[in-house]
Amino acid sequence: MCNPKLQTLHSKTLYAYHVDIAVSNDSFSTLVAAVQAAGLVEALQSPGPFTVFAPTDDAFAKLPPGTVQTLVQNPPQLGRILKFHVLSGKYTQAELIKLGTVVSLEGSPIPIDGTEGFEVKNSTVLAADIEADNGMIHVIDNVILMG
Amino acid sequence: MTTTLKSVIPPSTHPFSDIIHRLEAGGSMLPDTPENLMQIIGIYKAYAVPMDFYWRDLLYIAERVFLNPIPAFKYFISKDYLDRPNSYAGDGADLRIWRGEADAHPELREFIDRGETGKMPKLWHHLWHDRVNMEFAEACMRAMLWHQGMGGQFYDYLESEEYIANADRAIKAYFKGNPLMLGLYKLFPTMFLEKVRELSYYANLGLFWEVMAPVFFEMSDLYDEGKMTTVPEAMEFLVNGIFAVAGRPIYHHLYIGDECYEIIPKSAGFTWLYEAALPYVEAVFYRTAPFRGTKSYNAQANQVPDEQKDFHYGILYADVFPVGSAGIPPTLLMQDMLHFLPPYLKEFYAKQYRGEDDELIQLGITFQRSMYNVTSAVIQALRAALLYPLDDQNPRHQMANRKFFEAQMDRFLRPEARLKSIQRQDYR
Repeated sequence: MCNPKLQTLHSKTLYAYHVDIAVSNDSFSTLVAAVQAAGLVEALQSPGPFTVFAPTDDAFAKLPPGTVQTLVQNPPQLGRILKFHVLSGKYTQAELIKLGTVVSLEGSPIPIDGTEGFEVKNSTVLAADIEADNGMIHVIDNVILMG
Repeated sequence: MTTTLKSVIPPSTHPFSDIIHRLEAGGSMLPDTPENLMQIIGIYKAYAVPMDFYWRDLLYIAERVFLNPIPAFKYFISKDYLDRPNSYAGDGADLRIWRGEADAHPELREFIDRGETGKMPKLWHHLWHDRVNMEFAEACMRAMLWHQGMGGQFYDYLESEEYIANADRAIKAYFKGNPLMLGLYKLFPTMFLEKVRELSYYANLGLFWEVMAPVFFEMSDLYDEGKMTTVPEAMEFLVNGIFAVAGRPIYHHLYIGDECYEIIPKSAGFTWLYEAALPYVEAVFYRTAPFRGTKSYNAQANQVPDEQKDFHYGILYADVFPVGSAGIPPTLLMQDMLHFLPPYLKEFYAKQYRGEDDELIQLGITFQRSMYNVTSAVIQALRAALLYPLDDQNPRHQMANRKFFEAQMDRFLRPEARLKSIQRQDYR
């Protein structure tokens, strides 16, 4: 399930981890820019631990025109959407599937499904269980939204 | 190998299976006919003009009139708010998707100036009720205030200590130097607070409609240019619009002179989609409340639902004929739209049944059709945001989409719903 290219990357923080990924394979440049625009860098550099569902650039590109632009113009609103992608605590794929539903930092629940592979709400996990010093990352193919 | 949708999951057995299959194919609840398209686009344009006034005046009331104890002139919008550039239209827009001008629409300005009667001082227009019916906008606002708790976090925030502290600061600043009102505030603090909550909904709805006005103008322009040719295209345009501005902040600021008091700051993180659009659709399209004087309801015979979530008095359920009585909110809107109908729609109504004599009713039913299309856009946007693409070939995903569509259609199974009626072209 895990992308071996991603597994080789290590860093001290989740945020730096994203930067490393962005620099190395350019898959997360939108997410990194969004985290910066929302002013969440410091929060994600704290000891946590956190679990992050990280949408790829392709995931952001699926959103209709203007969606990302409006969010980037409005950091608190963007921050809320991004916090929906973060959990407090470090959870592996197996743990998440067992839990069934988890509550995001934004406050809304996220359903997890393990019937076929590993699905987080309406996204499919492309790479799971990527360890970082302050948490865990699961790479997803859609930006997930509350509701 | 490609598989068609029908081969992956069995057909729906829902009473509205035809409509569900249409939605699954990317269509709207409203059938795709040239006449339906002409009607809904014409009415979107006629709606956008008064809406251009509604949003400006709603924000004027929320931000400037505020707790004025005798708000006799709240509909006398200030020049600043009439000239206020729309945040989503004009060259200085935050997001330039729609081509309209930032300024108030020329037809609106002309109507404010002349009304139906002719040029005369604003006060005479007001007293003669020859003006935009802001009461309709306020009725929509009140529906949102009253139903509340329809998703999003706005309602909870209005009860929070942070909000109460912000409102308190604003109230004290607004009545600074007015011992009578400050004394009343001390005696009845929660009454004042409740009024501020209502004003926060004025701001909420104003910010919501500020976006919808340029969207509807753009749709009308595209239709006139021959670039919007089907009902699904019109729906898809709305879906894209919903996503484009989903992250717009919903806030409430009070201005006293140049001083700004943040009652709901932008930093609270409230969004156009979650805190305004979705609650608006739920409160106004589906629920609202029975209009006074139109019908008697026997609560003991269960004619009024026990739960607010089951209220069904919105436009999607309305019997437009009795609704066409004077003074009730939808009629006020119909009267407003009547002033701005495009010529092709006016000609169309003139040729039907009683022609101009029942223009308001015909217009009301067109509006109902058009709002079924807007609701379809909301349903498709929610499906896209929360579920799966329509061309997803995974049967489990398709079934999740199916269940979502069926659950949405369940809301139209009650006899009052007009979904069946709008499938017919002779429902006018």
